[in-house]
Amino acid sequence: MNPDLLKQWDSLGINGLPYLFPIHPNLVHLTLGLFIVAIAFDIVGALFPLDKAAFKYLAIPVTRSALFDVGWYNLLASAIITFFTVMAGLFEVSLAAPLTDVTSAWGLHALETMILHGVGGVLILTLIVGMTVWRGFQRYQWRKDMARQVQWSYLAAGLFVFVLMFVQGTLGAHLGGEFGVHVTADQMLHLGQNPNQL
Amino acid sequence: MVLFAVFCDLVGYFTKNPRLYEVSWWNLAFATVSIFIAIIFGQVEAGLAEPYAASISTLNVHTVLGWSLSGILALITAWRYVIRLQERPQLPIPYLVVSVLLVGLVGIQSYLGSLLVWVYGLHTIPVVDAIKGGLS
Repeated sequence: MNPDLLKQWDSLGINGLPYLFPIHPNLVHLTLGLFIVAIAFDIVGALFPLDKAAFKYLAIPVTRSALFDVGWYNLLASAIITFFTVMAGLFEVSLAAPLTDVTSAWGLHALETMILHGVGGVLILTLIVGMTVWRGFQRYQWRKDMARQVQWSYLAAGLFVFVLMFVQGTLGAHLGGEFGVHVTADQMLHLGQNPNQL
Repeated sequence: MVLFAVFCDLVGYFTKNPRLYEVSWWNLAFATVSIFIAIIFGQVEAGLAEPYAASISTLNVHTVLGWSLSGILALITAWRYVIRLQERPQLPIPYLVVSVLLVGLVGIQSYLGSLLVWVYGLHTIPVVDAIKGGLS
């Protein structure tokens, strides 16, 4: 955002936010954790004929339907929370003042990284919501009487979203770690101050 | 995962839905495995961080609380394992109280971790460069 425009908000901290640290990077861990657990448990559920011996060896009672319950409820929670992740991200990126004289490890400048991360975020939100609808149809309609509740293609799509999340996460890490977006110490150094004054 | 596990427990408790207890248990079990991976990375990165003076106390508390959480989480998961084997219709209240306290600790730990990255900027390039340049 244009620094002159940011002056219109007169209570921003040195990190460019009206609060201590950005919320989006915290929420994104809920998105990731819930989604990864959802797909992981659906994979374990789908491969149940192979892995049930391991649960027996560990003396952990398990039912296949409970594994699919984890796959469903975690995905549903991920879809809901990700709206808030994206909302916080849009709010915080609109207050971003990245360092402009930096190129990231991927050879990108700040503006390119911000745009890719922003577009990527909405894309991944759409995919998560789409997969939740898909998962819901499998659970409650198409496969409700089948032992394996998910299609292989659904699991493959989940693994593909993992890859997108890795790319998206790395872009986001560049915004904080290299371009200093909303990092108090980086902004202080940029202003010639010593972060030990914190 | 801990947050979602406790959320499922509370919803399961008030809606009397045992299916959510299973979801909670598996999230908790997964969290107990994951926390050790998190600690290994945390120790490696904290060891490489060369924290400057203002950030040291936060990093120390984050380290101690992280290791403590691994023990606490393992204990609570073990307790949950036993409760699960007993196949009770409802979770015991003391378990729910302890798990809500656990959520509090996870919140504190996330807060401290956020301070290390977003306030003190450990491992961000400008801070790393400043440390190489003599910031201590």
